Amino acid sequence: MSVIEVEDLVKQYKRAKKPAVRSVSFEVQEGEFFAFLGPNGAGKTTTISILTTTLSKTSGRVQIAGYDVETQHRDVRDHIGIIFQRPTLDRTLTAEENIRIHACLYGMYTYRPTYRMMPASYRERVERLAGVVGVEDSLFTRVSKLSGGMQRKFEVIRSLTHTPHVLFLDEPTQGLDAVARHDLWDYLDQVRREWGTTVFLTTHYIDEAEGADTVCLIDRGEIALCCPPQEMKRRLGASTLEDAYVGYLRHTADDAVPALGGLVASGVGHEGERGRGA
Amino acid sequence: MTPASAARTATRGGQTAHADWEATRRIPRAAREANAVLAVAARDITSMLKSPSGVITALLMPLLMMGMIGGTLMQNMAGGLGFDFGEFMLVGMLVNMLFMMTTMRMTSLVDDADEAYSAELLVAPVSRYAIVVGKILGSSFMALISCLGVLAVGAVMGITLAPWQLLVFLALAPLLCLSGGALAMIVLGTIKNNTTANAAVMLISMPQMFLAGVIIPISQSSGLLGVLSRAMPMTYCVDLGRAVVYAGRSDYDAVVMFNPAVNLAAIAGITVICLVMGTWLYARSEKNR
Repeated sequence: MSVIEVEDLVKQYKRAKKPAVRSVSFEVQEGEFFAFLGPNGAGKTTTISILTTTLSKTSGRVQIAGYDVETQHRDVRDHIGIIFQRPTLDRTLTAEENIRIHACLYGMYTYRPTYRMMPASYRERVERLAGVVGVEDSLFTRVSKLSGGMQRKFEVIRSLTHTPHVLFLDEPTQGLDAVARHDLWDYLDQVRREWGTTVFLTTHYIDEAEGADTVCLIDRGEIALCCPPQEMKRRLGASTLEDAYVGYLRHTADDAVPALGGLVASGVGHEGERGRGA
Repeated sequence: MTPASAARTATRGGQTAHADWEATRRIPRAAREANAVLAVAARDITSMLKSPSGVITALLMPLLMMGMIGGTLMQNMAGGLGFDFGEFMLVGMLVNMLFMMTTMRMTSLVDDADEAYSAELLVAPVSRYAIVVGKILGSSFMALISCLGVLAVGAVMGITLAPWQLLVFLALAPLLCLSGGALAMIVLGTIKNNTTANAAVMLISMPQMFLAGVIIPISQSSGLLGVLSRAMPMTYCVDLGRAVVYAGRSDYDAVVMFNPAVNLAAIAGITVICLVMGTWLYARSEKNR
C-alpha cells in the first residue's frame, strides 16, 4: 500500500524564472526505505518541504498516509516525523524537555512541568526509545552540552515519539563525523527493523542510500530515475551507488534535460514504471 | 512491507494506520489546541528561567523607566496635577511592562526561526493560533516578572497599591498581554531576521510609552500628538488599568479619559484584528514562498 503518493508535482517559487520542481511523480510503499537523491538545487528540499507541509505547491497532487498535504495538512502532520537539515532541538532545554514538548504538541499527553509529573506511559516510552541507543544517561542533559551526534540521536527519538507512519530524513548526517554517522544509521536501521517505519531520505552521502529499497534521482527539478539501487548500479555499469550517481551526473551535466535513456539504452520505460509504483 | 510493519498496520477507511497510533491520541482536538498553547508557553518560560540575564533585565527595566525617568518627573513636574502622580505612574508602568515586555519578548518567534526551532513548531499538528497564543503567554511571563520589579521600585519610592487593586489588575493582565503580543504579530508576521525584528518591535513599543499616557498625562494632548495618542493601542490598556484602580474615587475623572466599555471594545477590536492578521501573515510567509 502506498503511504506517499506524488503526482505531477510542480513548484514555482515567486520571482523565480523556472520551476524548482517540474511534474514530479512517484510513490512510496508502507515500510519502504526510499532514498531521494540529487545534486544541490535539484529540487530535493523543495519536494521534501512540500511533502512535510511546510511549503505550498504550485500544482499537482500529494498524499501522505491517505491525506492531502494541502487540504488535510494537520492530519498529514500527525502521521509524519521529520529530521531537518539543521538541528531543531531547543538548545536551552534538556533533551527530555524537548521530547516532552514534542509529545504534547502531538496531543499524546497533557503537559506537566516536570518529567516525574508526566504519566508513566510517557516515561516508559521515552526511556525505551532512549534505551535503544543507550542515551538514557543524557536525557536530562542540556542540549547545548551534547555532541552533534548525540543531538541527532535525540532528534530521531523525538521524531519517533508519536509513532509516525513516515520518517522524513533531510540530510540527517550533515555535519556529523564518521563514527556519529555510523551510530545514527545503526539506530535508524534498528528502528526500521523493529517498527517497519517508512523512511524517506535525502542525503549527499550516497553510500547511505545503498541499503534503500528504492533510489529516486532528481535532477533540475525532474525525476531522472527511480529504481532499486542494484538496478541503478547495473544500468550505469558501476560497482557502488556513489559511482553510479557521480557517473550519471557527469554524463548529464551539460544536457538541458536529464536523459538516462541516452546513457543507458534500455532503461527509460522501466524507470517510468518504477517512478509510478516504486 | 516488513513483517513488523504488517503486524502493526491496519486499514481504516481506505487509509493506512498504525495499530497503536490511535491509542496515542487520547486528547480531543480542542483540548489538544489548549495543550499545545500550554506546551509552547511552557517551553518559552523554561527557556527564560534558564537564562538568568533575561530575568535580571526584566527586573532592572522598571528601575530605569520608573525609578529614574518617573522619579525625576515626580520630583520636578508633578505639582498641580490634581491627582497623585506616583500612583498614576505606578499603574501606567504596570500596564506598560505587561504590554511592552510581551511585545518585545515576541521576537523569540523570529529567534526560533533563526535557530531552526520554528521548523519543529510549524510541522506540529496544531493550529498557528495555538503557536502564536502560546508564544504570547510565554512572553507574558517575563512581563509579569517586570511587574514585580515595578512594584518593588514603587515600594522603595513609597508608592503602593491596595491588595484588591492588585487583584483586579492581575485579572486584567492576560488581556493586556494578549493585546501587546497581538500587536507584535502584525510586524513580526513577515520578518525573518532577528535584528530587523528587534528594531521593528522597538519602533512600535517606545512611542507608546510616551504617547499612551504611561508616565506623562495625555488628557490635554491635541493636534497631531492628540491623534497619535488615541491611535496607540496601549492608550486604551493604560486607561482601562486606571479605570479599575481609580473606580469610585474623587480623582477618577482627572485620571481616566474614556469609558471602560470604550477601552474594552478598543482593546478587544485591536487584539482580534492584530492576532488574526498577524497569524495569517506568519503562516503565509512561512508556506507561500
